[in-house]
Amino acid sequence: MLIPALLLAAGPGALHAQTDYYARVGAVWAGTLVRDVLGTEISVRQAIAPMVAIGASMPISPGYGAGVEATLASGGFDAEQDGSETDLGTIRSGSVLVGLDGPIWKSVRWRVGMGGLFYWPSEESGIFLQGGPIRFLAGAGADWRRPVMSSWDLMVSARYDFHRFTTDELERRGFSQAQGVSRISLSVGLARGIR
Amino acid sequence: MTAPSRRLAFGLAALTALACGDIAAPVRGDLYEWRLEAPSIPGPGLDTLSFHWDKSDLPVRVWVEDTDNLPDHMARAIDVWEAAFLYREFEATLVSDSATADVIVVGGAPGPKLRMKRLHSALAPECAGATDLDVDVSSSELRLPIRVFIDPRSLPDDPGIETCLALTSIHEMGHALGIFAHSPDPEDIMFADPEVELTSARDRRTAEAAYHTPPTLEAVRP
Repeated sequence: MLIPALLLAAGPGALHAQTDYYARVGAVWAGTLVRDVLGTEISVRQAIAPMVAIGASMPISPGYGAGVEATLASGGFDAEQDGSETDLGTIRSGSVLVGLDGPIWKSVRWRVGMGGLFYWPSEESGIFLQGGPIRFLAGAGADWRRPVMSSWDLMVSARYDFHRFTTDELERRGFSQAQGVSRISLSVGLARGIR
Repeated sequence: MTAPSRRLAFGLAALTALACGDIAAPVRGDLYEWRLEAPSIPGPGLDTLSFHWDKSDLPVRVWVEDTDNLPDHMARAIDVWEAAFLYREFEATLVSDSATADVIVVGGAPGPKLRMKRLHSALAPECAGATDLDVDVSSSELRLPIRVFIDPRSLPDDPGIETCLALTSIHEMGHALGIFAHSPDPEDIMFADPEVELTSARDRRTAEAAYHTPPTLEAVRP
Protein backbone atom coordinates (compact mmCIF):
# COMPACT_ATOMS: atom_id res chain seq x y z
CA MET A 1 0.00 0.00 0.00
CA LEU A 2 2.90 2.34 0.55
CA ILE A 3 4.06 2.06 -3.04
CA PRO A 4 1.00 3.77 -4.53
CA ALA A 5 1.20 6.44 -1.88
CA LEU A 6 4.80 7.16 -2.75
CA LEU A 7 3.95 7.19 -6.44
CA LEU A 8 1.16 9.65 -5.76
CA ALA A 9 3.51 11.86 -3.87
CA ALA A 10 5.93 11.78 -6.78
CA GLY A 11 3.10 13.07 -8.90
CA PRO A 12 4.28 14.05 -12.38
CA GLY A 13 3.56 12.59 -15.75
CA ALA A 14 0.94 10.12 -16.86
CA LEU A 15 0.41 8.91 -13.33
CA HIS A 16 -0.53 12.43 -12.31
CA ALA A 17 -3.04 12.64 -15.13
CA GLN A 18 -4.79 9.50 -13.92
CA THR A 19 -4.83 10.51 -10.30
CA ASP A 20 -8.14 11.28 -8.73
CA TYR A 21 -8.13 14.09 -6.13
CA TYR A 22 -10.88 15.01 -3.72
CA ALA A 23 -11.71 17.17 -0.74
CA ARG A 24 -14.67 16.90 1.61
CA VAL A 25 -16.11 18.47 4.72
CA GLY A 26 -18.33 16.73 7.23
CA ALA A 27 -18.64 15.56 10.78
CA VAL A 28 -17.19 12.71 12.77
CA TRP A 29 -18.64 10.88 15.76
CA ALA A 30 -16.33 8.94 18.03
CA GLY A 31 -17.02 6.41 20.77
CA THR A 32 -15.93 6.59 24.40
CA LEU A 33 -12.21 7.28 24.86
CA VAL A 34 -11.83 6.19 28.48
CA ARG A 35 -13.92 4.26 30.96
CA ASP A 36 -12.89 4.67 34.55
CA VAL A 37 -14.39 3.94 37.94
CA LEU A 38 -14.01 6.43 40.78
CA GLY A 39 -16.91 5.63 43.03
CA THR A 40 -19.10 5.39 39.98
CA GLU A 41 -18.31 5.05 36.31
CA ILE A 42 -16.71 7.93 34.43
CA SER A 43 -16.74 8.12 30.66
CA VAL A 44 -14.63 10.45 28.58
CA ARG A 45 -16.36 11.23 25.31
CA GLN A 46 -15.74 13.39 22.31
CA ALA A 47 -18.43 15.61 20.87
CA ILE A 48 -19.41 15.25 17.24
CA ALA A 49 -16.67 17.24 15.53
CA PRO A 50 -16.40 19.02 12.21
CA MET A 51 -13.84 17.47 9.91
CA VAL A 52 -12.13 17.99 6.61
CA ALA A 53 -10.76 15.26 4.42
CA ILE A 54 -8.48 15.31 1.43
CA GLY A 55 -7.28 12.41 -0.60
CA ALA A 56 -5.97 11.06 -3.83
CA SER A 57 -6.29 7.76 -5.61
CA MET A 58 -4.88 6.22 -8.73
CA PRO A 59 -5.91 3.16 -10.72
CA ILE A 60 -3.96 -0.03 -10.14
CA SER A 61 -6.13 -2.35 -12.22
CA PRO A 62 -9.43 -1.99 -14.08
CA GLY A 63 -12.01 -0.80 -11.57
CA TYR A 64 -9.64 -0.72 -8.60
CA GLY A 65 -7.49 1.98 -7.13
CA ALA A 66 -4.99 2.71 -4.42
CA GLY A 67 -4.67 5.95 -2.58
CA VAL A 68 -4.15 7.96 0.51
CA GLU A 69 -6.66 9.95 2.55
CA ALA A 70 -6.01 12.42 5.36
CA THR A 71 -8.55 13.89 7.75
CA LEU A 72 -8.47 16.58 10.39
CA ALA A 73 -11.14 17.05 13.05
CA SER A 74 -11.45 19.35 16.04
CA GLY A 75 -14.05 19.26 18.78
CA GLY A 76 -14.71 19.29 22.48
CA PHE A 77 -14.47 16.38 24.85
CA ASP A 78 -15.85 15.90 28.31
CA ALA A 79 -16.03 13.58 31.28
CA GLU A 80 -19.44 12.30 32.31
CA GLN A 81 -20.17 10.90 35.75
CA ASP A 82 -23.59 10.37 37.31
CA GLY A 83 -25.22 12.42 34.57
CA SER A 84 -22.96 15.41 35.20
CA GLU A 85 -20.52 16.54 32.50
CA THR A 86 -17.19 18.29 32.90
CA ASP A 87 -15.73 20.10 29.92
CA LEU A 88 -12.18 18.88 29.37
CA GLY A 89 -11.30 21.23 26.54
CA THR A 90 -10.73 20.75 22.85
CA ILE A 91 -9.04 17.93 21.08
CA ARG A 92 -7.85 17.83 17.51
CA SER A 93 -7.25 14.58 15.71
CA GLY A 94 -5.67 13.88 12.37
CA SER A 95 -5.54 10.65 10.45
CA VAL A 96 -3.72 9.36 7.45
CA LEU A 97 -4.99 6.18 5.79
CA VAL A 98 -3.38 4.40 2.88
CA GLY A 99 -5.71 2.00 1.18
CA LEU A 100 -7.54 0.47 -1.73
CA ASP A 101 -10.86 1.21 -3.38
CA GLY A 102 -13.11 -0.68 -5.72
CA PRO A 103 -16.62 -0.90 -7.12
CA ILE A 104 -19.74 -1.87 -5.22
CA TRP A 105 -22.59 -0.83 -7.43
CA LYS A 106 -22.91 1.83 -10.13
CA SER A 107 -21.50 5.07 -8.64
CA VAL A 108 -20.80 3.60 -5.24
CA ARG A 109 -17.29 2.43 -4.35
CA TRP A 110 -15.81 0.80 -1.30
CA ARG A 111 -12.62 1.89 0.36
CA VAL A 112 -10.43 0.22 3.00
CA GLY A 113 -7.24 1.42 4.57
CA MET A 114 -4.75 1.41 7.39
CA GLY A 115 -2.68 4.17 8.87
CA GLY A 116 -2.28 6.34 11.92
CA LEU A 117 -4.35 8.65 14.07
CA PHE A 118 -2.78 11.55 15.93
CA TYR A 119 -4.29 13.41 18.87
CA TRP A 120 -3.40 17.02 19.62
CA PRO A 121 -5.10 18.23 22.82
CA SER A 122 -5.56 21.97 23.23
CA GLU A 123 -3.76 21.73 26.55
CA GLU A 124 -1.61 19.07 28.09
CA SER A 125 -3.62 18.20 31.17
CA GLY A 126 -5.67 15.35 32.58
CA ILE A 127 -5.51 12.23 30.45
CA PHE A 128 -3.31 14.15 28.00
CA LEU A 129 -0.91 15.47 30.65
CA GLN A 130 2.01 13.87 28.84
CA GLY A 131 0.77 14.74 25.38
CA GLY A 132 -1.45 13.19 22.77
CA PRO A 133 -0.86 9.70 21.44
CA ILE A 134 -0.36 8.34 17.96
CA ARG A 135 -2.39 5.18 17.37
CA PHE A 136 -2.70 2.61 14.64
CA LEU A 137 -5.91 3.09 12.68
CA ALA A 138 -7.87 0.81 10.37
CA GLY A 139 -10.93 1.87 8.48
CA ALA A 140 -13.34 1.29 5.68
CA GLY A 141 -16.15 3.11 3.97
CA ALA A 142 -18.06 3.91 0.85
CA ASP A 143 -18.11 6.79 -1.62
CA TRP A 144 -20.91 7.88 -3.89
CA ARG A 145 -20.10 10.17 -6.77
CA ARG A 146 -22.11 12.04 -9.34
CA PRO A 147 -20.73 14.31 -12.10
CA VAL A 148 -21.71 17.93 -11.56
CA MET A 149 -19.30 19.71 -13.90
CA SER A 150 -17.13 18.78 -16.83
CA SER A 151 -14.35 17.46 -14.66
CA TRP A 152 -15.76 17.56 -11.16
CA ASP A 153 -17.90 15.10 -9.26
CA LEU A 154 -20.02 15.60 -6.19
CA MET A 155 -18.71 13.11 -3.62
CA VAL A 156 -20.58 11.85 -0.59
CA SER A 157 -18.68 9.58 1.75
CA ALA A 158 -19.31 7.48 4.82
CA ARG A 159 -16.41 6.13 6.82
CA TYR A 160 -15.94 3.80 9.73
CA ASP A 161 -12.61 3.39 11.46
CA PHE A 162 -11.31 2.13 14.74
CA HIS A 163 -8.26 2.38 16.93
CA ARG A 164 -7.27 1.41 20.43
CA PHE A 165 -6.89 4.46 22.63
CA THR A 166 -4.64 5.08 25.59
CA THR A 167 -2.18 7.79 26.60
CA ASP A 168 1.16 7.89 28.38
CA GLU A 169 -0.55 9.50 31.39
CA LEU A 170 -3.17 6.76 31.62
CA GLU A 171 -0.45 4.10 31.45
CA ARG A 172 1.57 5.92 34.12
CA ARG A 173 -1.46 5.78 36.38
CA GLY A 174 -1.87 2.07 35.95
CA PHE A 175 -4.50 1.81 33.23
CA SER A 176 -3.93 -1.37 31.28
CA GLN A 177 -4.93 -2.44 27.80
CA ALA A 178 -6.57 0.22 25.65
CA GLN A 179 -10.03 1.40 24.82
CA GLY A 180 -11.45 0.30 21.49
CA VAL A 181 -12.73 3.46 19.84
CA SER A 182 -14.95 3.45 16.78
CA ARG A 183 -15.41 6.55 14.66
CA ILE A 184 -18.05 7.17 12.03
CA SER A 185 -17.96 10.12 9.67
CA LEU A 186 -20.20 11.51 6.98
CA SER A 187 -18.88 14.07 4.55
CA VAL A 188 -19.56 15.72 1.25
CA GLY A 189 -17.22 17.36 -1.22
CA LEU A 190 -15.84 17.53 -4.70
CA ALA A 191 -13.63 15.14 -6.57
CA ARG A 192 -11.72 15.80 -9.73
CA GLY A 193 -13.16 13.01 -11.81
CA ILE A 194 -11.31 10.94 -14.33
CA ARG A 195 -13.47 10.75 -17.44
CA MET B 1 -23.31 -8.50 -3.85
CA THR B 2 -19.99 -8.95 -5.61
CA ALA B 3 -17.15 -10.98 -4.15
CA PRO B 4 -15.09 -7.88 -3.22
CA SER B 5 -18.14 -6.39 -1.53
CA ARG B 6 -18.65 -9.56 0.50
CA ARG B 7 -15.02 -9.48 1.54
CA LEU B 8 -15.44 -5.84 2.52
CA ALA B 9 -18.49 -6.69 4.64
CA PHE B 10 -16.58 -9.47 6.41
CA GLY B 11 -13.66 -7.12 6.94
CA LEU B 12 -15.93 -4.50 8.49
CA ALA B 13 -17.42 -7.06 10.84
CA ALA B 14 -13.94 -8.15 11.92
CA LEU B 15 -12.87 -4.54 12.52
CA THR B 16 -15.96 -3.90 14.63
CA ALA B 17 -15.26 -6.97 16.76
CA LEU B 18 -11.68 -5.83 17.34
CA ALA B 19 -12.89 -2.37 18.40
CA CYS B 20 -15.02 -3.66 21.25
CA GLY B 21 -12.34 -4.04 23.97
CA ASP B 22 -12.32 -1.68 26.94
CA ILE B 23 -9.47 -0.03 28.76
CA ALA B 24 -8.92 -1.45 32.26
CA ALA B 25 -8.93 1.15 35.04
CA PRO B 26 -6.48 0.62 37.90
CA VAL B 27 -7.53 -0.35 41.40
CA ARG B 28 -6.92 2.74 43.50
CA GLY B 29 -6.51 1.04 46.84
CA ASP B 30 -3.38 2.56 48.31
CA LEU B 31 -4.34 5.90 49.83
CA TYR B 32 -4.40 7.60 53.21
CA GLU B 33 -7.09 9.16 55.37
CA TRP B 34 -7.86 12.66 54.12
CA ARG B 35 -10.89 13.52 56.21
CA LEU B 36 -10.91 15.86 59.18
CA GLU B 37 -11.62 14.33 62.55
CA ALA B 38 -13.75 16.51 64.79
CA PRO B 39 -15.73 15.96 67.97
CA SER B 40 -19.11 14.56 67.08
CA ILE B 41 -22.03 16.90 67.71
CA PRO B 42 -24.26 15.65 69.21
CA GLY B 43 -22.96 12.48 70.74
CA PRO B 44 -19.66 10.95 71.78
CA GLY B 45 -16.74 10.06 69.58
CA LEU B 46 -15.37 11.66 66.44
CA ASP B 47 -16.89 12.68 63.17
CA THR B 48 -14.89 12.36 59.98
CA LEU B 49 -15.62 15.44 57.91
CA SER B 50 -14.85 15.46 54.21
CA PHE B 51 -14.76 18.32 51.79
CA HIS B 52 -14.04 19.05 48.20
CA TRP B 53 -14.72 22.07 46.10
CA ASP B 54 -17.89 21.77 44.11
CA LYS B 55 -17.72 22.14 40.35
CA SER B 56 -19.70 25.36 40.66
CA ASP B 57 -16.94 26.79 42.90
CA LEU B 58 -14.22 26.27 40.29
CA PRO B 59 -11.83 27.80 39.70
CA VAL B 60 -11.08 28.28 43.37
CA ARG B 61 -9.93 31.87 43.90
CA VAL B 62 -6.63 32.14 45.73
CA TRP B 63 -5.19 35.41 46.98
CA VAL B 64 -1.50 35.35 47.87
CA GLU B 65 0.48 37.97 49.75
CA ASP B 66 3.27 39.31 47.57
CA THR B 67 6.18 38.37 49.79
CA ASP B 68 8.96 35.79 49.76
CA ASN B 69 8.11 34.79 46.20
CA LEU B 70 4.90 33.25 47.50
CA PRO B 71 2.77 34.07 44.43
CA ASP B 72 5.12 32.04 42.22
CA HIS B 73 5.24 29.19 44.70
CA MET B 74 1.46 29.07 45.03
CA ALA B 75 0.95 29.28 41.27
CA ARG B 76 3.17 26.26 40.89
CA ALA B 77 1.38 24.50 43.75
CA ILE B 78 -1.91 25.03 41.90
CA ASP B 79 -0.39 23.57 38.73
CA VAL B 80 0.89 20.55 40.64
CA TRP B 81 -2.49 19.77 42.15
CA GLU B 82 -4.43 20.41 38.95
CA ALA B 83 -2.13 17.88 37.31
CA ALA B 84 -3.03 15.33 39.98
CA PHE B 85 -6.49 14.93 38.48
CA LEU B 86 -7.53 13.23 35.27
CA TYR B 87 -10.93 14.83 34.79
CA ARG B 88 -10.48 18.48 35.80
CA GLU B 89 -11.96 17.92 39.25
CA PHE B 90 -9.96 20.81 40.72
CA GLU B 91 -8.95 24.16 39.29
CA ALA B 92 -7.72 27.28 41.02
CA THR B 93 -6.56 30.70 40.00
CA LEU B 94 -4.74 33.55 41.67
CA VAL B 95 -6.84 36.67 42.22
CA SER B 96 -5.82 40.20 43.09
CA ASP B 97 -8.66 41.02 45.47
CA SER B 98 -8.52 39.24 48.80
CA ALA B 99 -12.13 40.20 49.48
CA THR B 100 -13.32 37.77 46.81
CA ALA B 101 -10.88 34.98 47.61
CA ASP B 102 -11.81 31.46 48.69
CA VAL B 103 -8.29 30.86 49.97
CA ILE B 104 -6.02 33.52 51.47
CA VAL B 105 -2.30 32.83 51.66
CA VAL B 106 -0.11 35.08 53.77
CA GLY B 107 3.54 35.02 54.72
CA GLY B 108 4.59 34.67 58.31
CA ALA B 109 3.56 32.69 61.33
CA PRO B 110 -0.12 32.13 62.04
CA GLY B 111 -1.71 34.37 64.60
CA PRO B 112 -3.76 33.31 67.60
CA LYS B 113 -5.82 30.20 66.94
CA LEU B 114 -9.18 31.76 66.26
CA ARG B 115 -10.30 29.01 63.95
CA MET B 116 -11.74 25.72 64.97
CA LYS B 117 -9.08 23.63 63.29
CA ARG B 118 -5.48 24.42 62.48
CA LEU B 119 -3.45 21.98 60.38
CA HIS B 120 0.22 22.48 61.29
CA SER B 121 2.74 21.18 58.90
CA ALA B 122 6.13 21.63 57.28
CA LEU B 123 8.09 22.12 60.43
CA ALA B 124 11.49 22.32 58.78
CA PRO B 125 14.11 24.71 60.14
CA GLU B 126 13.86 26.80 56.95
CA CYS B 127 10.09 27.32 56.88
CA ALA B 128 6.76 26.19 58.27
CA GLY B 129 3.16 26.17 57.18
CA ALA B 130 -0.32 26.03 58.61
CA THR B 131 -3.86 26.00 57.29
CA ASP B 132 -6.81 27.28 59.29
CA LEU B 133 -10.25 25.83 58.66
CA ASP B 134 -13.31 27.51 60.10
CA VAL B 135 -15.58 24.52 60.44
CA ASP B 136 -18.99 24.52 62.06
CA VAL B 137 -19.61 20.87 62.79
CA SER B 138 -23.21 21.35 63.86
CA SER B 139 -24.22 22.89 60.52
CA SER B 140 -21.63 21.01 58.44
CA GLU B 141 -20.30 24.28 57.08
CA LEU B 142 -16.80 25.24 56.09
CA ARG B 143 -16.75 29.01 56.33
CA LEU B 144 -14.59 30.68 53.74
CA PRO B 145 -11.97 31.81 53.26
CA ILE B 146 -9.54 29.07 54.11
CA ARG B 147 -6.44 30.75 55.55
CA VAL B 148 -2.98 29.49 54.73
CA PHE B 149 0.21 30.65 56.43
CA ILE B 150 3.66 30.13 54.96
CA ASP B 151 6.35 31.17 57.40
CA PRO B 152 9.92 31.57 56.13
CA ARG B 153 11.95 30.99 59.23
CA SER B 154 15.26 31.81 57.60
CA LEU B 155 16.67 34.57 55.43
CA PRO B 156 15.77 34.70 51.73
CA ASP B 157 19.28 33.74 50.62
CA ASP B 158 19.66 30.84 53.03
CA PRO B 159 20.20 27.53 51.27
CA GLY B 160 17.10 25.40 51.19
CA ILE B 161 14.59 28.19 51.78
CA GLU B 162 13.20 28.22 48.24
CA THR B 163 12.82 24.45 48.18
CA CYS B 164 11.14 24.54 51.56
CA LEU B 165 8.72 27.28 50.48
CA ALA B 166 7.93 25.41 47.27
CA LEU B 167 7.07 22.09 48.88
CA THR B 168 5.29 23.76 51.78
CA SER B 169 3.14 25.70 49.31
CA ILE B 170 2.18 22.45 47.58
CA HIS B 171 1.47 20.83 50.95
CA GLU B 172 -0.75 23.67 52.17
CA MET B 173 -2.57 23.85 48.84
CA GLY B 174 -3.27 20.14 49.35
CA HIS B 175 -5.04 21.05 52.58
CA ALA B 176 -6.90 23.90 50.87
CA LEU B 177 -8.25 21.60 48.16
CA GLY B 178 -9.69 19.16 50.68
CA ILE B 179 -7.00 16.86 52.07
CA PHE B 180 -7.61 17.74 55.70
CA ALA B 181 -5.27 15.15 57.21
CA HIS B 182 -1.63 14.12 56.95
CA SER B 183 -0.15 11.11 55.28
CA PRO B 184 1.82 8.76 57.54
CA ASP B 185 4.34 8.18 54.73
CA PRO B 186 7.29 10.60 54.24
CA GLU B 187 7.25 9.75 50.53
CA ASP B 188 4.04 11.78 50.22
CA ILE B 189 3.84 15.58 49.95
CA MET B 190 1.02 15.47 52.52
CA PHE B 191 3.30 13.96 55.17
CA ALA B 192 3.15 16.30 58.17
CA ASP B 193 6.74 17.43 57.68
CA PRO B 194 7.12 16.98 53.94
CA GLU B 195 10.47 16.04 52.45
CA VAL B 196 9.53 15.29 48.83
CA GLU B 197 9.08 18.09 46.34
CA LEU B 198 6.13 16.75 44.33
CA THR B 199 2.96 14.78 44.83
CA SER B 200 3.30 11.01 44.93
CA ALA B 201 0.99 8.53 43.24
CA ARG B 202 -0.59 7.99 46.67
CA ASP B 203 -1.17 11.74 47.05
CA ARG B 204 -2.88 11.78 43.67
CA ARG B 205 -5.03 8.76 44.46
CA THR B 206 -6.04 10.33 47.78
CA ALA B 207 -6.98 13.60 46.07
CA GLU B 208 -9.02 11.65 43.52
CA ALA B 209 -10.78 9.80 46.33
CA ALA B 210 -11.55 13.07 48.10
CA TYR B 211 -13.15 14.44 44.94
CA HIS B 212 -15.19 11.33 44.23
CA THR B 213 -16.58 10.92 47.74
CA PRO B 214 -19.69 12.87 48.69
CA PRO B 215 -18.56 15.72 50.95
CA THR B 216 -20.02 16.20 54.40
CA LEU B 217 -18.96 19.85 54.57
CA GLU B 218 -20.31 22.61 52.40
CA ALA B 219 -18.32 25.74 51.62
CA VAL B 220 -20.09 28.89 52.76
CA ARG B 221 -18.98 32.33 51.71
CA PRO B 222 -19.30 35.18 54.20
